Amino acid sequence: MKDLASYEHNNEAHKLLKQINQYLEQESKFLPRASGLLAIEASLENDDCISPKLRDAKVEDLRSLTRFFGCSTETFVLAINLLDRFLSIMKVRPRHLPCLGLSVFHLAAKTIEEECNIPSAHDLLRISHCKFTVSDLKRMEKIVNEKLNGEFKAVTALDFLHLYHALAHCHVINGKEFLILDRLEAQLKACCCRFVFSRAKPSVLALSLLTLEVENLKSGDLFEIILRVQKHSKISQYDLAYWRELVSKCLADYSSPECCKPDNKKLVWIVSRRTARHLQNSYYSVPELPTIPEAGCFTEPESEDSCEEMSCGEDGLSSSPQSHTESEFFS
Amino acid sequence: MLTCNRAGSRMVVDAASSNGPFQPTGLLHFRDVPAPEQEKLFIQKLRQCCVLFDFIADPLSDLKWKEVKRAALSEMVEYITHNRNVITEPIYPEVVHVFAVNMFRTLPPSSNPTGAEFDPEEDEPTLEAAWPHLQLVYEFFLRFLESPDFQPNIAKKYIDQKFVMQLLELFDSEDPRERDFLKTTLHRIYGKFLGLRAYIRKQINNIFYRFIYETEHHNGIAELLEILGSIINGFALPLKEEHKVFLLKVLLPLHKVKSLSVYHPQLAYCVVQFLEKDSTLTEPVVMALLKYWPKTHSPKEVMFLNELEEILDVIEPSEFVKVMEPLFRQLAKCVSSPHFQVAERALYYWNNEYIMSLISDNAAKILPIMFPSLYRNSKTHWNKTIHGLIYNALKLFMEMNQKLFDDCTQQFKAERQKEKAKLKEREEAWLKIENLAKANPQTLGSFQNWSSLELSMCPVSKNQYQLYIEPSGMNSPVAMETDGPLIDDIQMIRKAVEDQATQAQKDLRKDRPLVRRKSELPQDIYTVKALESHRRAEEIISAHDGH
Repeated sequence: MKDLASYEHNNEAHKLLKQINQYLEQESKFLPRASGLLAIEASLENDDCISPKLRDAKVEDLRSLTRFFGCSTETFVLAINLLDRFLSIMKVRPRHLPCLGLSVFHLAAKTIEEECNIPSAHDLLRISHCKFTVSDLKRMEKIVNEKLNGEFKAVTALDFLHLYHALAHCHVINGKEFLILDRLEAQLKACCCRFVFSRAKPSVLALSLLTLEVENLKSGDLFEIILRVQKHSKISQYDLAYWRELVSKCLADYSSPECCKPDNKKLVWIVSRRTARHLQNSYYSVPELPTIPEAGCFTEPESEDSCEEMSCGEDGLSSSPQSHTESEFFS
Repeated sequence: MLTCNRAGSRMVVDAASSNGPFQPTGLLHFRDVPAPEQEKLFIQKLRQCCVLFDFIADPLSDLKWKEVKRAALSEMVEYITHNRNVITEPIYPEVVHVFAVNMFRTLPPSSNPTGAEFDPEEDEPTLEAAWPHLQLVYEFFLRFLESPDFQPNIAKKYIDQKFVMQLLELFDSEDPRERDFLKTTLHRIYGKFLGLRAYIRKQINNIFYRFIYETEHHNGIAELLEILGSIINGFALPLKEEHKVFLLKVLLPLHKVKSLSVYHPQLAYCVVQFLEKDSTLTEPVVMALLKYWPKTHSPKEVMFLNELEEILDVIEPSEFVKVMEPLFRQLAKCVSSPHFQVAERALYYWNNEYIMSLISDNAAKILPIMFPSLYRNSKTHWNKTIHGLIYNALKLFMEMNQKLFDDCTQQFKAERQKEKAKLKEREEAWLKIENLAKANPQTLGSFQNWSSLELSMCPVSKNQYQLYIEPSGMNSPVAMETDGPLIDDIQMIRKAVEDQATQAQKDLRKDRPLVRRKSELPQDIYTVKALESHRRAEEIISAHDGH
């Protein structure tokens, strides 16, 4: 097999490789602090600090917001990166987490999205039913900006994924797209939703995803290319195996057809006044008329049994000649 | 003693004697009379209450006697409530007679708009003028029915099918108080007279059929449905075939009528009761609702959504699976509705825990159906409250199964791409046609400088082109200068068009001579003869009559 850079489209491949090298140099800068992440992992449920579970729940919220506002996957991944970096250097109280979540999302949107697609702070607050104000949000954004030194253009696993994917396709001979980028992006998003992957180096995470997909496709060609990429990125076999294992578990969870029962207790349901009125009235309460049993006769609550003895011995429904006419009527 | 034996007639009574229409003995109080005499007095009082007074044409007439009747009625109500063994056999026919005389009357035509135009919140119902008396008669009759001494065996001789029929006709009264009494009265009669039950059900069905398919007007549907609710509640299991047919052929078509809002809560209750009795009826009920789903009437749509949620609250999971696909297709349409109340009500389903658990058990089938309408409308709906609800719905779906949601997203995007590609193809095809037309040698010359729009407005037939090109001698396919010749061309075309137009008109007149055909109806010879003989008789009479 020839070297990566010396294929037909070596111009294209060359450009990609240059970009990959650039990113490889920068990626460590944008990793969350390891000690901070350890602290989060070690936290207990009833401590007044962020636990992995809280972080994951907040990431789910951000995923919904991303989908709702139609923002790109880049925005989502960047927001998670900012969140993890901030959480790893600052001790945040759980009650400030909603505000932090919205701020990183807003900052990420402002970094990535076009002007017209950036959701306004007002809209963000309205949709996520948060109790704080726009000025609170602005203040939090300033703090994040400060603590992260304004370094928002992070190099993320998504960037690597795109580059590796493009590189792999440069070298595919018949030009058919074996690796579906959309699916890989979806899988990456699933990984972002799990705290364990905050520690991973973006290049390793991206490569793990690709490796698993290539294994699924059982394509020898692609496998070779991936090996070359791994060597080029200087990713150790040990690291790759370790993260691949975790990613594989995550994806198994992700692909399971099991649907969890949604918990809508934390959602706020606001309806217009007219609909709210309707909802109150619509449930027709127990009617005033008491039930009349079909076989027996109806007796008032305070009446004596004499009534029942008298009339229940009377013509039963089925024996009366009228029943014949009924069935004819309806036939 | 003046009694009215004809039901339905009212008479004005002049106070001729000091007792008016009442006999002096009938004006005594029960307490003043020894026990053995009370029955006789009772009957007298009852008969006297058969005197009817006028409350409409002259409300102030006979005020004194009206008061006497009212007092008598009131006294009798007390009498049978607080005394036992006073309802003896001779009393029965008298009581029924009093009721019939006072109540069974032709209802006056309504002065309010009917059906859906009648807004219960705005239009006032025309109340019954004789209510001071009618109310007491109703009250009395009800106490009579509910008395512990009441014996249906004896009463059934007088409370028969004819009585019930006339009672049912009163349900069309505009006065809600009257309908309320009628409801309770019929309810008690249905409860106590087993022999009349089938007849009552049949007659109610007839009323409903007439309402749905003929008149769409009846004021008492809600009250009748309330009675039916208590009957349905008491059905024995397994349900009789007759009752199932009633549900499918009567209750469900009642959803079609325009004035559904008047009786919808009661109707929904009946339907849900049926489903609680027999869950196998779920599929036909839900499919019928979807069939009758309103397409242009939004308040009605909200009502349907209310009813559907109540049905889903009691639905069995096995039945849910049978109806979920068409149901959620309709729900998807509701969620996308531009009417904010419809969209809100549909989205509020996501707040129902039981429905959400049903959805999560069947997410693989349901999510792809709901997905496009939720995804598409997230930001584009004009109403801001809807945004929040859509966000909640999307979030719940996302958390149900992340992969399923992502797959739906991908599929949605792929379909959108396909649509865009098709549109582009179509545009390109049109462009090709246009270019082909431009390249046609006959379009060169005068029309070469025209825009494609102007070209498309010209008549395309070959002859026309010949007409234009020849007279001005512009045969050469050389590019023309824009100014002078072009104006000539326009005038030429205008003239040609005018000629053509007049030509067309002439053709029209030539082609279609005015022919009007009268329809000939066959005439019945007997009818003609009868009419003729009738006329002749009139001539005879007028000859003798001296006007």
